[in-house]
Amino acid sequence: MQIAFYLSGLVAILATLRVVTGTHPVHALLYLIVSLIAVAMVFFALGAPFAGALEIIVYAGAIMVLFVFVVMMLNLGESAVEQERAWLQPKAWVGPAVLTAVLLIVMIVTLVSGDYEGSISGETLTAKMVGISLFGPYLVIVELAAMLLLAALVAASHLGRSEAHDEADLARERQRELNEQARADVAPVRETPVNTREQNRTQEGKA
Amino acid sequence: MSHATMMALLAISPLILVCLTVIVVMLSIAWQRNHTLSAILTAVGLNVALLALLFGWSLGTVDVTSVLVVDDLSRFGGVLVLMSTLACVTLAHHYLEGYEGPRDEFYLLLLSAAAGGMVLVSARHMTTLFFGIELLSMPLFGMLAYTFRDRGALESGIKYMVLSAAATAFLLFGMALLYAVTGTLDFAELGEALSAYGSDPWLLAGAGMLLVGLAFKLSIVPFHLWTPDVYQGGPGPATTFLATASKVAVFLVLLRLFQSTLAFHENWWHDLLGFIAVVTMLVGNLLALTQNDLKRLLGYSSIAHFGYLLVALVVNQGLAVETVGIYLVTYVLTTLGAFGVVTLVSSPYVATGGTADASPLHHYRGLFWRRPYLTAVMTVSMLSLAGIPFTAGFIGKFYIIAVGVEAHRWWLVGSVVLGSAIGLYYYLRVMVTLFLHEPGMQRRDATHDWAERAGGMVVLGVATLVILLGLYPTPMINWVNWVAG
Repeated sequence: MQIAFYLSGLVAILATLRVVTGTHPVHALLYLIVSLIAVAMVFFALGAPFAGALEIIVYAGAIMVLFVFVVMMLNLGESAVEQERAWLQPKAWVGPAVLTAVLLIVMIVTLVSGDYEGSISGETLTAKMVGISLFGPYLVIVELAAMLLLAALVAASHLGRSEAHDEADLARERQRELNEQARADVAPVRETPVNTREQNRTQEGKA
Repeated sequence: MSHATMMALLAISPLILVCLTVIVVMLSIAWQRNHTLSAILTAVGLNVALLALLFGWSLGTVDVTSVLVVDDLSRFGGVLVLMSTLACVTLAHHYLEGYEGPRDEFYLLLLSAAAGGMVLVSARHMTTLFFGIELLSMPLFGMLAYTFRDRGALESGIKYMVLSAAATAFLLFGMALLYAVTGTLDFAELGEALSAYGSDPWLLAGAGMLLVGLAFKLSIVPFHLWTPDVYQGGPGPATTFLATASKVAVFLVLLRLFQSTLAFHENWWHDLLGFIAVVTMLVGNLLALTQNDLKRLLGYSSIAHFGYLLVALVVNQGLAVETVGIYLVTYVLTTLGAFGVVTLVSSPYVATGGTADASPLHHYRGLFWRRPYLTAVMTVSMLSLAGIPFTAGFIGKFYIIAVGVEAHRWWLVGSVVLGSAIGLYYYLRVMVTLFLHEPGMQRRDATHDWAERAGGMVVLGVATLVILLGLYPTPMINWVNWVAG
């Protein structure tokens, strides 16, 4: 298990180094996926299978796919196919492939040797235990995380709004102001007949 | 519901009320966008939270689960955070009237950041420290870049976000190292473990990284480089919040960390911190000398002030906690006055190409002949920042020097005196500018009805308090003594 831990950690560090030094976003993302999977392996080796599974499902699964999608979408066009072919050069995928192969070998060896009972030290943390500590001593933290996400969402939605959205808002507000003005204008109109009537009366009186 | 749960809920009711206000304001925005309504709801929520805080004082020290503790120090911090947030709300309402985009989100962000500050002042566990700092900083990114069509505001927001993320990485890594060695994240247990393990290199690396992360938030030299740019570019109300509530909350959590972790009491830690304090005072003051921009100048001055405050942490005996309390009160009041005037002169927001706020000093040339009362507020704030007698700033500085002399830290006392002497020059330069003859050049000015608005009243009230506390500081001293004792 110790070897599994150190090898996965090494893979994680190497892959992350390539993420930082990579100049091409898609290649960097490929390495980032490898790095996240390696970190998940580290979690498994440490006896935290729940955290490892979450790492794969949430980070390597959902978030990374989103990243890759966005990067791909930005590159749509005539030259996209040629670009794809250019990207599939061996030097783009050999690195990540070798690193993942190391992870695969580590996993197979661990499975075959049957040494998956224990972890480096301490007991195995199950999902139940994670849940108990999240909703026991760390209940406040869960609530705070919710507030944090809300604040991040508000900030992102404000900063990310487009000109068109802004203008639509402005137009709506202007319309409301115009309506209010119109309502305010209507009021004096109602008063004017009264005034004119009074004036008429005074004029009649004079007459 | 058990008695303990009830007590815990009562004790953190101010935090719950602030969070609840976020939800209420958000729902009201979803229903109908109304700038004034959002501002009023925010102010009401904050006031209710403040009342809950004051009524909760009789509860004493209450542990809320194992990660938060509500005691006198955290209530003291909560009062300062909520008061400065309230001042920011009143200033923001006037300021944002000129902003053409949606205005209501600002209050949501402000309230969330205030909640983060409230968490931070009652943190006694690394997890709450981390979440508090994040909940404080995350809305601040949005607030600083709120008027993002402005190049200055956008730059300030991005700068704060990127550098803050780096600081957070340090903070997390430091916590991870501490946890790896000691196996605990609780401040008190961490303190015991630290004294047991002595000077393990991993432990020192962890503690050092933790300090780097916190020092960034307090803009202590050498982690101060972001401060002037962010202060200059950010919209007035956001900068006011950054300079007051955010700094107070982070400093109080640093104080709590220092009090509980005994390993920081080793001698060389004190020497290192003392050196950082001296450098911070001198660098902050020297760099402020050549500034022609009021907001940048105030940024550098805040660096210097946190250098002074570090003196109390370095000494960490005798009157240290009282000194921190009194200095924070005077600093918050004075900074609210100074930034309040800057924000009022910049209100309402005008969209321009560069920096929208009236931050260059030449906008303030001859302000006395146009707005005598506003100039009086600014003058009082500058005098108080410089630590002239009969202002609150003097009392704070007096305590700092007293604490230094008591501990025979002559180097620190000398730097405080030297720093104040340098500071006097640039604070007086601002004051002279206020009274010069008016130039014919283009300038910004406060609106005619500034004094009738909530923001104007707050600024006038703050200036009055600065003078009152300078003349008769006994109530403040009694309050802080009671909190510290």
